[in-house]
Amino acid sequence: MVNISVKNVTKIFKSKNNNVIALDNINLKIESGEAFGIVGPSGAGKTTLMRIIAGLDVPTSGEVLFDEKVVSKDGKILVPPEKRNIGMVFQNWALYPNLTAFENIAFPLRNQKLPEDEIRRKVQEIAEILGISHVLSHYPRELSGGQQQRVAIARALVKSPSILVLDEPFSNLDTALRDSARALVKKLQEKFKVTTLIVSHDPADIFSIASRAAVLVNGKIEQLGSPIEIYNNPVSLQVAKLVGEIVTGKGVVTSVDGKKVIKCGNLIFQPVLENSINESEEVEFGLRPEDVKIAKDSKLEGFELAGKVVVKVSSYSGGVFKIVVSPLENEEIELYALSDMPMKEGEVVNLFYRKEKIKVFLKNYYLKKTELQS
Amino acid sequence: MESNKYIRLGPIAKAVLKEIVIIILIIIWLVPIYAMIINGFKSNTAVVTSKALIPTLPLTFSAYQEAWTVLNGPLLNSLSLIVPVSILSTFLGALGAYYLNGLTRSFNSRYRVLGNIIFVLVALGTFIPYQATLMPLAILMASLNLLGSYGGLLLSYLTFYLPTGALLMSVFIAVVPSYLIEAAKLDGASDFSIFFKVVLPVSLPGFISTLIFIFIESWNNFFLPLVLVTNPSSELVSVGVRYFTGGFGTLYNASFAAAVIASFIPLIIFIFLGRYFIRGILALGSGGKA
Repeated sequence: MVNISVKNVTKIFKSKNNNVIALDNINLKIESGEAFGIVGPSGAGKTTLMRIIAGLDVPTSGEVLFDEKVVSKDGKILVPPEKRNIGMVFQNWALYPNLTAFENIAFPLRNQKLPEDEIRRKVQEIAEILGISHVLSHYPRELSGGQQQRVAIARALVKSPSILVLDEPFSNLDTALRDSARALVKKLQEKFKVTTLIVSHDPADIFSIASRAAVLVNGKIEQLGSPIEIYNNPVSLQVAKLVGEIVTGKGVVTSVDGKKVIKCGNLIFQPVLENSINESEEVEFGLRPEDVKIAKDSKLEGFELAGKVVVKVSSYSGGVFKIVVSPLENEEIELYALSDMPMKEGEVVNLFYRKEKIKVFLKNYYLKKTELQS
Repeated sequence: MESNKYIRLGPIAKAVLKEIVIIILIIIWLVPIYAMIINGFKSNTAVVTSKALIPTLPLTFSAYQEAWTVLNGPLLNSLSLIVPVSILSTFLGALGAYYLNGLTRSFNSRYRVLGNIIFVLVALGTFIPYQATLMPLAILMASLNLLGSYGGLLLSYLTFYLPTGALLMSVFIAVVPSYLIEAAKLDGASDFSIFFKVVLPVSLPGFISTLIFIFIESWNNFFLPLVLVTNPSSELVSVGVRYFTGGFGTLYNASFAAAVIASFIPLIIFIFLGRYFIRGILALGSGGKA
């Protein structure tokens, strides 16, 4: 397996009138055998970075190294993509429409000029693992989306690549298939221990497959860490939103009994704020849905009471009810909590939150540390 | 106010109108072919005395026999020249077009400029009227001692039709999805195997369209063989049909029969491969997926 280093990579797309900076001085190191995720909004440069690593595009400046060997540098490709031993699963799978599933999977092996019986054995072996043995004689157009994806994965893996690159591999699958496909990719990644790069805008892909991830925003790496780290301690509100659902609201820093708290209507949140944050500063706070609860009870184990809220609307999705609530005295502010029961509109309930999980963002969107002290 | 300016048609009236237009166009196109066929079956006198669009009895085959006797040689000459010309022009053109495509996709701006220059040259080669460059070509062939030879003819035809093949194929290859070429690259394929295993099969409808186009164009070309064929025994069919039109009179029935015989092969090709022609054109609009 191979480790990948990306050093000071900048990519500028030049056009007549303006230059677009797609990647801005990116530095990354992906360890051998690691599953690394790149997550970001569309247009952030994820695909460009992936293409530069794969050798399908060149960095305007900076270099890419595989095992300390330079493969691309300053606008030049030193090792062409066909020599990089990369298995890639394209977003639309890019199966050759004129070849059967078998021939699609055998394609990289034929290019290696392997003997026919070895090709046959290898294709059948990987088809077996992926459960597509019965469709090997079919053409791509005769396969379902899930089968096409498996053929694409088989084609990427059959040549025992040094690096597996997955470009939004699940976005063309329906929700039901996605989870099993993610599990399959994870299983294969662990089985083959191949250095894996997965690019996706869907945090679920990154969570299920990557052990480390980079959040890319506007061509810059905003945060680097394990998915759960990024989820729990996002550096900005944008990152927080990119890696998962978050309940957000605006509040004002106020002093209550000598302690700085955030006031949002009649709700009081008590994060431990850095001293640098001033009173009457307007901030945004965020809570993951699992860290917010509403109940009629006045106490809830492990949760802190924020105050009374009124139920605005209940909706149902994915096995839980999403209850939109507003602080009693302020209808414009809307927060939501998940509940296993629907709630009546206009009902007044208590809003609870996990004190240690509240994240506070200043207007510039960057988090002020909320270290647990009290 | 404005809305009453146009007469609004119902769906049935619209469909009928469309059909009528199509029928009129078909008639306009078919009348000469019809005249060509029936007049070939007339006798020498009947063809000048009867109305052109009315068949006369009895049908005589003499004109066809006569035309066939004259044309079977040129027909064979044409086939043995035009088949390799159209296949080579299309195939080499496709190879060239793939190379050009690679140049224009290059990361190196110098290669992209080179690609554009070559493309302009190819377009120039296609769009310059061949009559303008025919004389220099004939002189070149003569100085190479190739004038009138099969090799010289082949080379001359390729000079004119290879750029056409490259130009048309570069349009068809441009719509082959780039991710397929990239996937093949990552799969370790060489440029040749990408061309043969991916680009050519995916752009096959375009390839066949180009082949048909070049075949028909070069088959019907009159001026090239008129100037370049020096030996009567290697006469091509497009010039051969002229045999029945002379300074002292025209054998109309035989001329018509000759025209039928000469257009038979392109017609057959179009009938059998025409669906690819349509698909090739459609592929341009659908990213090569038709």
